Amino acid sequence: MELPSPLHLSFTSHPQEIAPVRHAIEAFATQARFGDVAVGEIGLCVNEAIANIIRHAYRGQSDRPIELDAGFDPELSRLTIRIRDYGTGIQPGPLPHEKLDPMKPGGLGLICLGRLMDSIRFTPQNPGMLLELEKSL
Amino acid sequence: MVQIHTNTDMLINAREEGSAVVAEIVGDIDLHRSPDLRGDIMLVLDGRKPTKLILKCEQVKYMDSSAIAVLVEALQKLRVFKGQLFLTNLQPRVKGLLEIARLESIINLVDTVETALKR
Repeated sequence: MELPSPLHLSFTSHPQEIAPVRHAIEAFATQARFGDVAVGEIGLCVNEAIANIIRHAYRGQSDRPIELDAGFDPELSRLTIRIRDYGTGIQPGPLPHEKLDPMKPGGLGLICLGRLMDSIRFTPQNPGMLLELEKSL
Repeated sequence: MVQIHTNTDMLINAREEGSAVVAEIVGDIDLHRSPDLRGDIMLVLDGRKPTKLILKCEQVKYMDSSAIAVLVEALQKLRVFKGQLFLTNLQPRVKGLLEIARLESIINLVDTVETALKR
């Protein structure tokens, strides 16, 4: 199987967009030779990142732009995903404590990002936010 | 066995079995679909005080944090009358998220509906 070409997706902040984007990034990660568990983790993290953009950056508006770029560096065996929004630009606080109260699951998306990706970085833009995720084979 | 009506195809075969309510969740659950699941779960609990709500998850290959929020809300409703929530037939990817969310400490995760009914 050939390594994947860079992926670019441009879509709106409608919740129905989450599943096809998740499927696309999972296919990309599979082509980059990540195993089934890692592919699921990558798909979940992209899902949670987009859901957070819809909920927080765009406050539920369903017609705002989101862009996703993914690339795989075969020399470093590293997947990089960049997700750009044009919303409030409010930087999330520190990662919630990993031993969260299960009866209060708020912040679970960020916990997933922190636990399942090798690195996450939020960079404020004007306007909006750039989220960069990395995971190595 | 008493069948219970639901509004969407996300929660099917909902029924009363003794003092329990049993139903099957169908399909992946994300921010787009979780409001429908929430609505159907609240519908099957409406006017009932089951000792157990047992949700078969064999056909759920994926769920995200919005689904976790729905399950926790269902549990909060059940706890008002000392009811318990059971999830059965969990797929591997779903188990991973439940572990991160630490739901195994508040929700009963068992292999089958039959096991849940016997507990």
